Amino acid sequence: MKESFVLGNRAIREALRAPDALIPTIFIPLFFLVVNVGQTARIFPSGGTPFLAGQNYAAFQLPSSLLLSASFGSAALYLVEEIEGGYFDKLRATPIPRMAIIAGRLYAELIKTVAIAAVMVLIALPFGIRIESGILGFLVLLVLVALWAVVFSGFMQLIAIKTRSAAATQGASLVFFPLLFLTPNFVPRNLLTRPMEVAATINPVTYIMEAVRSLILYGFDWPVLGLGFLVVVVAGALMLALSVRMINHYD
Amino acid sequence: MSLAVEAVGVRKRYTGKDGDVEAVRGVDLAIPPGQVFGFLGPNGAGKSTMVRMLTTLMTLTAGTARVAGVDVAADPHGVRRKVGVALQEAGLDPRQTGRELLVLQARLFGLSRSDASVRAQELLELVELTDAADRRIKGYSGGMKRRLDLASALVNQPEVLFLDEPTTGLDPASRVTVWDEVRRINDQGTTVFLTTQYLEEADQLCDRLAIIDGGLIVREGSPAALKADLRTRTGLAAEPTLDDVFMDATGRRRDRVAGDVQEV
Ligand SMILES: Nc1ncnc2c1ncn2[C@@H]1O[C@H](COP(=O)(O)OP(=O)(O)OP(=O)(O)O)[C@@H](O)[C@H]1O
Ligand SMILES: [Mg+2]
Repeated sequence: MKESFVLGNRAIREALRAPDALIPTIFIPLFFLVVNVGQTARIFPSGGTPFLAGQNYAAFQLPSSLLLSASFGSAALYLVEEIEGGYFDKLRATPIPRMAIIAGRLYAELIKTVAIAAVMVLIALPFGIRIESGILGFLVLLVLVALWAVVFSGFMQLIAIKTRSAAATQGASLVFFPLLFLTPNFVPRNLLTRPMEVAATINPVTYIMEAVRSLILYGFDWPVLGLGFLVVVVAGALMLALSVRMINHYD
Repeated sequence: MSLAVEAVGVRKRYTGKDGDVEAVRGVDLAIPPGQVFGFLGPNGAGKSTMVRMLTTLMTLTAGTARVAGVDVAADPHGVRRKVGVALQEAGLDPRQTGRELLVLQARLFGLSRSDASVRAQELLELVELTDAADRRIKGYSGGMKRRLDLASALVNQPEVLFLDEPTTGLDPASRVTVWDEVRRINDQGTTVFLTTQYLEEADQLCDRLAIIDGGLIVREGSPAALKADLRTRTGLAAEPTLDDVFMDATGRRRDRVAGDVQEV
């Protein structure tokens, strides 16, 4: 436990030391936000679009951008670099629970994502976006997005440990990417075409996106929020169980 | 007093996509505490594999091993507390400074924050890296990285220190520094298990050595005993060198490995 924090703090220190590595994590999602909203906002005027609940279309799109920025899985790229470079073995030679090596990176990912998501929301606020659920809702939103980042990077770390290859890990992130888009990211689920609706309903990311969106547009919608948290908790438990198994059998 | 390293029937088989490799094929070792033990062998003989198994970084396919009296399979954490290891490829984190890396390593061995920084400072002085201590490791030269790696293997004041080719790639002066360091560490009571490609190094440093070839131990004894044995067996007129012993044991022709053995 203590070791996880020691290792996590190192990862945070390294992230702060290379702030340029964080720039894509913020600016690519914001770029999509600006482009998507810029191209479609006239179809969805805030007055005539009931699902916007009186806000502008950027408020509807913000959750996609937040989840995108939480899905870069940079923790796994650092980890695989460490495996390839041999530092991972140095850590494994110390008398710490091996899970601490993974948990440390996940903890760092949590903290990093809270900070990045907060910055992104703060950048969005001047453009007429309100968090309907207030300050408390804003904090809940940060926690949910950050937990998603932990789950996502956790699964990526599994791939890193399994393949021990940077190329394979990077490739895997592209496989996961569609999950972010097979979601109701342009319109609510009930307005999607049937195949997309089916895909979105199966896709767990949908429920996280809907939960984040509900905090921005509608306030505290407990069933929607509960489902979002349920998804991250279940996926997180699965990820942790697999991680413990895999790292303890790492040879 | 228990042995520093005790291996019985140790085997390692790597299973991969392109078939199995039996890297270690039944190795027995009995190294008393306090020695500098040299583990020699040609490329691919199984030296690094043996080091990784003895330091709990890799499981044994068969056999048992005890290091500092602790079974590597039954109590790996127990072993990790008592050993230090510098692997063949110095695995360092380029984004940290040398000092940060040592402090982190010490903290993972359970030292408090202040004890860890005291220990880091001691080790930096020991390996003469104080000037570079607060620079990122990324900018270190190969020799500096090796010395830092050696320092990091010492944070927990190990009973048994494993060094996998500690001097490969070092200039002659740095090599002698490492030799001195190994002797000093050994004088303080640490058993040193050292693999090397340089027979000169083994001759200088080691109380005893084993030569491994193709995953099997083919010679074992003190350098002097091995040379004497070769001399009586082959009836040589002159005293053989350790090169001759190595060549005789591994069946390698002199010209092929000459580059390896004549460097000092
Ligand atoms: N991870 C691995 N997967 C498959 N085979 C391996 C692996 N590591 C080593 N081997 C094989 O096991 C054998 C022994 O390798 P090892 O690295 O232990 O040799 P070594 O004596 O340390 O050689 P060198 O002097 O070149 O460092 C070699 O045939 C090598 O190809
Ligand atoms: Mg080797």
